[in-house]
Amino acid sequence: MDQSLDDVWAECEDLFAQARKTLATLKDPQPAHVVQAAVNSLFRTTHTLKGMAGMLGFPSFSRAAHRMEDIFDLMRKGRLRSTDSLVETLEAGILALESGMAGLRRGRAEPEDYLHPLRRELGELEALARPAEGGSQDLTSMLDLPPEVLKALSDYERTRVTALLMSGMPIYGITVCLEFINFDERLRVLNEALGAQGELISTLPCDAPEDREGLSFLLMMACPALDPTQLPTVDGELITAALLADPSRVPESLRNAAPDESDETTPPAEPVAEPVPPIMAAPGPQAQEVEILRLPAHRVEALEARLMAVGQLRDATSLLMRQSGEAGNDRPLALMGQIEDGLLDVQKSLLQMRMVKVESLFSRIEPMVKSLSRDTGKPVKLTFQGSDLELERSLLGRLSDPFIHLVRNAVDHGLEPPSDRLAMGKSEAGSLRISASQRGRNIRFDIRDDGRGFNLERIEARGLELGLLKPGQVHTPERLHRLTLEPGFSTQERASQISGRGVGMDVVRAEIEALGGEIHMSSEAKRGSLIRLTIPLSRAVVSCLKVRCDRQAFGIPLGNVVRVQAGKQLCHGGEQVRVLGRSLPFESLQACLGLPEPDGQRAFVVLSQQGAAARSVEVALGVDEIMGRGEVLLRSLPELAHASGIMGGSLQEDGILWVLDPDAVLGLAMDSLMRRVARV
Amino acid sequence: MSDQGAWLHVRAAGMDLLFSTLDLREVVASASVSPLPGRPSGIQGVVVYEGEFLPVLAWQDLPGCGVSASNPVAMAVLRPRLGIPLEQIIGTMELPPDAWRETDEKDPGAAWQGGVCQVGDLVLRLVDADRLIALLRRFRGDR
Repeated sequence: MDQSLDDVWAECEDLFAQARKTLATLKDPQPAHVVQAAVNSLFRTTHTLKGMAGMLGFPSFSRAAHRMEDIFDLMRKGRLRSTDSLVETLEAGILALESGMAGLRRGRAEPEDYLHPLRRELGELEALARPAEGGSQDLTSMLDLPPEVLKALSDYERTRVTALLMSGMPIYGITVCLEFINFDERLRVLNEALGAQGELISTLPCDAPEDREGLSFLLMMACPALDPTQLPTVDGELITAALLADPSRVPESLRNAAPDESDETTPPAEPVAEPVPPIMAAPGPQAQEVEILRLPAHRVEALEARLMAVGQLRDATSLLMRQSGEAGNDRPLALMGQIEDGLLDVQKSLLQMRMVKVESLFSRIEPMVKSLSRDTGKPVKLTFQGSDLELERSLLGRLSDPFIHLVRNAVDHGLEPPSDRLAMGKSEAGSLRISASQRGRNIRFDIRDDGRGFNLERIEARGLELGLLKPGQVHTPERLHRLTLEPGFSTQERASQISGRGVGMDVVRAEIEALGGEIHMSSEAKRGSLIRLTIPLSRAVVSCLKVRCDRQAFGIPLGNVVRVQAGKQLCHGGEQVRVLGRSLPFESLQACLGLPEPDGQRAFVVLSQQGAAARSVEVALGVDEIMGRGEVLLRSLPELAHASGIMGGSLQEDGILWVLDPDAVLGLAMDSLMRRVARV
Repeated sequence: MSDQGAWLHVRAAGMDLLFSTLDLREVVASASVSPLPGRPSGIQGVVVYEGEFLPVLAWQDLPGCGVSASNPVAMAVLRPRLGIPLEQIIGTMELPPDAWRETDEKDPGAAWQGGVCQVGDLVLRLVDADRLIALLRRFRGDR
């Protein structure tokens, strides 16, 4: 993929994340001005996406984004009211666009219509919001403004003014004259302050008073009662406020024409005016928005490269000082240690910049499951665990599609219809549990459902039919589950609207494997299924015990180190050593990694599986030297360089420190011990 | 072969080789390779490239290749992120499409070559990046 487009893709991702977050706020009751601000934000987001897609040469995407933009435009003009079902449809639309964008990024061809699955819902919304014959009402003439200003109002501003006046909300005009030097920042601050009091309708440039220099603006807003004393002022700035239109002067006949506010479910069919719900309490100051910096990955990488260069300089200086062997070097060496700690902290911060919470992945799943539940008529109890876990943004982006596919499958094929579930003594609603957890250097996602499980007999029959299995052989459940990951494999006789086309699971596997991960599937008939995705984290700061073997430095994650011991006696691979009264098998690290074996070792590290029970496997791993402990910035090895027992590496002053994968090393140690026994 | 752009003519593993410039990210100065304990066949170790580990090809593990006679002077970085040690960079060249012939099936290098080209007395072998990566993956699978 062209790296020059990284900025654009990154911005698209941000826009989608922002859209999802904003849509989520519409699910809870909000004051009218907050809803309006959210809808405006969504309108702008889809507008930007449309433009970006056009720029990238994706006309079909641009059309779809335009359609979504139109829906938000209808909402902001008051022709559609925010209801649960509307928000669900919009969430599904945004998700469809996001998924489509991810496909485009991977080089997939554009579909004809990204919003095809939602065509019915969107069509209904558009029909309901269509203006009635005769056009719409316009009350902007009530505004106490010069004709040239009135003429400059946009359709949107006209619609909002009309809607707000009809709902009984006064319209105020705040005129400000700001200095050239900081007008943009001051305007932002004032907009925020006004937004906290009500709905900001427009920011119109206007003529500055003759006796003043600067830029003047008319900020038009609606609120029950404007409190100008709450506006942040700066010495020398001119701010005046005036009532532009009084709603009590709206003709009674028009006020009565407003639709009934109690109708919560049906969008108004009439083009006129969304009734603005009364603000229940004076809105408090809005939470200060966090400024989001869009930073393409390669810029962070450039920063990391610089940091690495500084680190190398530090290492070179440190080495020079040690080699000089002069007395009085202790203090500079201690300073070097401090610099090293500081650099690691910066590296941690840089790492943190790449991280996003798993919650952002889960937030895409939730609306999709709701929509699937509605479409399939299967109630689903969806639960998430581990939302706070963080992983790299790029990783999360690539996990989105596989996840969506797996969840679709679970709801469509895994969960039974409610009547079947009740007949089987199960709860009416199917359970779908999605969890994320960190296991050493891996992140593990479990997708569990309590549905019917995989039909292994059918899978076997289909496998034989396709020639993927040989007749007359016993096929293990594991083998049969994995068969569903083969390209074109499907037991569904007819593709459903949602899944079952025989494409997808192989794509899921390809994507997970491309990330260096694994997919594991298991199920029990009538009890449910478990799909487990294990993905290596590409970078992390790991606390390690540093050891040396064969002149090479290694790090052992401390979570797996039970004990470190050094004695006078030389130990050899295959022997038993006594550790706190217990006898443990001893194996050298060199033997595990296929390096030349030493003539005995005095030091060893007792290694066990992380978080395992007391009776888990423990091995005394022989090493040449124990160097101490420390935190290291771990980088994963690329797929082609995967080596058994090595999790990744960290750049150190004397070369690369290889960080061991303790579970893999335990396995290698046991294999080596078994070979020794076999040789005897 | 007409859609492969220009060709980079190099010497590596004692052979005259061609790389399509479209397969190359860049050519960088040779760096010290950190050997990987228990390395997979075909990979001698890694170097740090753009802040990440870049696997470096072990020519001697490929069929039809011997141990390089001289130390590498440069490293070609393939787009699929693989470092190729080079003994000498000779230059770029344009080749007519009809200059190519298929690699002989009996040639042990057929597993990673995309064709052979004869220019005067010189036999030039095209390194097919896709085949090479596929071969390295097969090595991993065979472990």
